[in-house]
Amino acid sequence: MTSMWFERSSSGDDRAEPATRTLDELVASAARGDEAAFAALYDQTSARVYGMVLRVVRDPAQAAEVTQDVYLEVWRQSARFDADKGSVLPWLLMIAHRRAVDRVRSAQSSLVRDDKYAQLNEERPYDSVSEQVQTSLDAQRVRRVLADPTPAQREAVTLAYFGGYTHTEVAELLTLPLGTVKTRIRDGLIRMRDALGVMA
Amino acid sequence: MTDELNVLAGAYALDALDDDERAVFEEHLHSCPECTEEVRGLRNAAAELSHLTEVGPPPQLRAAVLGAVAQSRPLPPLVDGARVLPLRRTRSAALWQGLAAACALIAIVVSAWGYSEHRQAQRSADARGSVVESLLAAPDVRATTTTMKQGQSTLIYSRREHRLVLIGRGMPVLPADETYQLWMMSATGEPVSGGLFRPDPNGNVELPASGDLDGVDRMGVSVEPAGGSAQPTPTTVQVLKL
Repeated sequence: MTSMWFERSSSGDDRAEPATRTLDELVASAARGDEAAFAALYDQTSARVYGMVLRVVRDPAQAAEVTQDVYLEVWRQSARFDADKGSVLPWLLMIAHRRAVDRVRSAQSSLVRDDKYAQLNEERPYDSVSEQVQTSLDAQRVRRVLADPTPAQREAVTLAYFGGYTHTEVAELLTLPLGTVKTRIRDGLIRMRDALGVMA
Repeated sequence: MTDELNVLAGAYALDALDDDERAVFEEHLHSCPECTEEVRGLRNAAAELSHLTEVGPPPQLRAAVLGAVAQSRPLPPLVDGARVLPLRRTRSAALWQGLAAACALIAIVVSAWGYSEHRQAQRSADARGSVVESLLAAPDVRATTTTMKQGQSTLIYSRREHRLVLIGRGMPVLPADETYQLWMMSATGEPVSGGLFRPDPNGNVELPASGDLDGVDRMGVSVEPAGGSAQPTPTTVQVLKL
């Protein structure tokens, strides 16, 4: 599989470190205690991380807390990052998403999450996300990629990813059998993956 | 590849499994290269979604992150090595210090490719999954769980096979000058150290050990000064009844 497309710095923010250092190199330097390299890693990735975390947890103060925890963990785990197993950004975002999801699942009040009717009417993940989309090339590309899954697949994927719901909760929210949701999530992601591969 | 499990790859990549499902799926990943590869691809696709929500963090967060980083040391690289330590019943100080060192080594072997966080801890060494799995197959396997001040601890053990795994969740992370210590306790004698351990940054730990549990009716977990103690500090010890 090609990995070029997610190695790119997306923030357009090149301060501090020469753009020639890849995220891989920055992580390797951080593992040896290089705080400047870690600062550069933060500068190049924090908008992706913070924005996603904010979307999941909603509250800016909590999003900042989670983001700080994420980067501290990335710093501590930097020597264990294995470039053979994947690229930096997916690794970082995976850590961030886990933490964001943990935060909403443990802390979000049952009042909010149990009100399925309100959720369904208020929660339009794909649409509301689209409204915030920046007109960056990356975002445009992802929007094209998101057009590839069916609307039903897209809905299941975005409820899980941005809503932080388990697939069982997604099934409840959509009043669908769990098996259907499992398949929709997987097939939707596969379509996105394949579309990204073609466009890379 | 098991179709029934394979279909979970998508939900797994989106962190949309509950804890039990995730544990089962991660166990499956150890033995299924196809699923592992698929998860990697789907995770990369999911990561792209974050382009849609890109927002610059508050400026003060940068200083907070870098300040926290300056006070924390990166963990050493993972080093392959023995992951099962002998659980010794001797009272020889030299021996249990050796065991303590082995435990410390094991504690270092935490998660491999990220993770997760406590799930992070769960995706660690391939060996660990198989250790737990083979222990669960023991004919006399038993498990005991206690919710303690120090989080939740589960002990899975087999007296016949002389093996156990201590699983800790949500244990307070200790300062550098303190450590957790495992104890074997019996009605007839003083507690015997089973070694030292430290949970990962999320307070999770899986500690496989082997040794004779004959006569042992309780296991204890205590907080001790770094390096461990000859006897548990009474105010900190928490007991799991076997």
